[in-house]
Amino acid sequence: MKRVFLLLKKDALVLRRSPLLLGIVLAYPVAIAVLVGLVAGYSTAKTRVALVDEDNLPPVVTIGGQRFHVDRTIQEVSKNVDLVRGLSRDEAERQLAAGKVVAVVTVPPGFLATLEQMVRSPQLEIELSRGPISARVKQQVQALVYSLNRQLQSAYIETNLKYVDLILRGGDGTFLGQPISVIGLERAEQELRQMPQTPRVEKLEDFVHDARLALANTGDALRATARPIGVTYVNGRGRTTLLAANVQAYALGLTITFLALMLAAGSLAAERDENVIGRLARGLVGLGHLVWSKVLLAAALALGLGITIAVAFGVIIEIGGVNGGEPWRRLPLLVVGLLLAGGALGALGALLGALAREARSASLVAVLVVLPIVFLGLIPAQIVPPAGWASDVLPFTHAVRFFNSALYDLSPWRQVARQAAWLIALGAIFGVLARLGARRLLV
Amino acid sequence: MSSRQLLLAARGAGRRFGKKTALEPAELEIYDGDALALVGPNGAGKSTLLAILAGALEPSMGGIERRTGVRVGWAPQRPAQYGRLSARENIELFARLEGEADPAGVAGQLLREFDLPGEPQPSANLSVGNRQRVNLAIAFLGSPDVLLLDEPTAALDPGQRRRLWERCDALREAGGAVVFATQNLDEVERKAHTVAALRDGRIVFSGTVEEYGRAQADTLFA
Repeated sequence: MKRVFLLLKKDALVLRRSPLLLGIVLAYPVAIAVLVGLVAGYSTAKTRVALVDEDNLPPVVTIGGQRFHVDRTIQEVSKNVDLVRGLSRDEAERQLAAGKVVAVVTVPPGFLATLEQMVRSPQLEIELSRGPISARVKQQVQALVYSLNRQLQSAYIETNLKYVDLILRGGDGTFLGQPISVIGLERAEQELRQMPQTPRVEKLEDFVHDARLALANTGDALRATARPIGVTYVNGRGRTTLLAANVQAYALGLTITFLALMLAAGSLAAERDENVIGRLARGLVGLGHLVWSKVLLAAALALGLGITIAVAFGVIIEIGGVNGGEPWRRLPLLVVGLLLAGGALGALGALLGALAREARSASLVAVLVVLPIVFLGLIPAQIVPPAGWASDVLPFTHAVRFFNSALYDLSPWRQVARQAAWLIALGAIFGVLARLGARRLLV
Repeated sequence: MSSRQLLLAARGAGRRFGKKTALEPAELEIYDGDALALVGPNGAGKSTLLAILAGALEPSMGGIERRTGVRVGWAPQRPAQYGRLSARENIELFARLEGEADPAGVAGQLLREFDLPGEPQPSANLSVGNRQRVNLAIAFLGSPDVLLLDEPTAALDPGQRRRLWERCDALREAGGAVVFATQNLDEVERKAHTVAALRDGRIVFSGTVEEYGRAQADTLFA
């Protein structure tokens, strides 16, 4: 083991003597993590949806006595999509086919007239693109229609309540465009009181009284019927998505995956480039020990970089005043996870280095391999099961699960133990393969 | 001859790289006091044979026999050292790996003996000759009984060559042996006692320097 540490110390010295290389090796994975974060953020950004107006909606419409500014209303309800307006149906469909827009919402002729009648629901026509994004677009369009309906609901309820008020108090109004005059329950009750009090009149009085009381609560009942479940938004208690638990875990996993793979692969192959491998292998250091030293190097650097990132997140969280998830509360557990993950990834990197045999090729292969490993781990296993199976035999996913649980689960032990076992097993398998492959370095 | 001790031997040791045979099964015995020159054209298999004798390369066939307790030093043709480490750091690192009791002291001594710069500049920045001196100095670590040197003097100045051969002579006189690969026939005549000539991965001649001279080297490699 002493010789392993001598090589480890040598590698640390070599890295210290290569500040540019060290800087790139440390900064590159962080940059990639940030870029992946931005791409992930962009994926939830506004999608382009075409709005085809075949009904020639006017700038202002009056529904149920309420005025709607069409442009303002559409802008308000389409916050989550980028509406493309002014297209004909043909042009919109051409853009949908070309993928320039992901959905076409068409307002058919007669839409507004049906809406103004408030008797039956007018229909919007929605055409979606195909592919994995269509489900999300469908949700966004549904949200758009939901927002529109919410605004119209309020107008409808207010209109209906005017009718209720008319029935309660009586007076003049319109229905389906026709003028009407209503006596109202209050006046009907007064009229009944002035009539000779017979049992039939008293029965009618009771009915009118009950009906008046019942209709007095119609407003709340209508609103409750329109929206059985309400949502109250409380601001400022959750953390920004940029600091969310899984983002931290992915950032840690991604950076140490890049670092450990590239370093272990490059440094093992460099022993051959320096022509030192033969000198070491002739009894000074066994190939197994050589692989071990690279695994330890990867684990040590993963620990250093991982702790730095975790603490940086923690400081930001602390400044933000968000409670829970500060890395220092779970630091010992995080240290274990970083060492295990760094080691397992280092073993995989050593295998790549042994197979590639030259430092430059090894680094290139590591970069080429790391991206699929990371992206496989980012694909939800529930959606694409084969991706889940593939990422299960690679350390990245287990590292992310370990960090996620170690940092945020109230009772992380079961999950942490499971992922630690995975990382140890994968590290052992890749380590053995790297040891076998290291013989290629002697050629 | 019977009083001489066998230190190191190749017993049918050969090596293939994929389908290509770099060294046919070779028989070679190295005794104490030997100065054996390996000669032959480029690609004849000299470096492969030395690497196998050093234990740096596993033979594909046959094996190596080493007398118990015999230590082997090896200087490959292309310097084997870490470019980012200084000459002192390289020698000290390998001294530690060789299990030297006083790695820093040994490194300082070898730096002086090989006239190497003590300043901490990376060995990658050293001249070709100085890199070769570091390469040779590392071969002397661990008090070797047998020295295996692959074209050791190719990049050395005359003074350094003389000092190297003096060290080799001293090692032989102390009961050790030196095996060196060379293209320099003058070196063969002056420094070797025996010669093994290789061609196309096979040992085609083995004998004394005088026998080698009589065999006329030119005809061996025609």
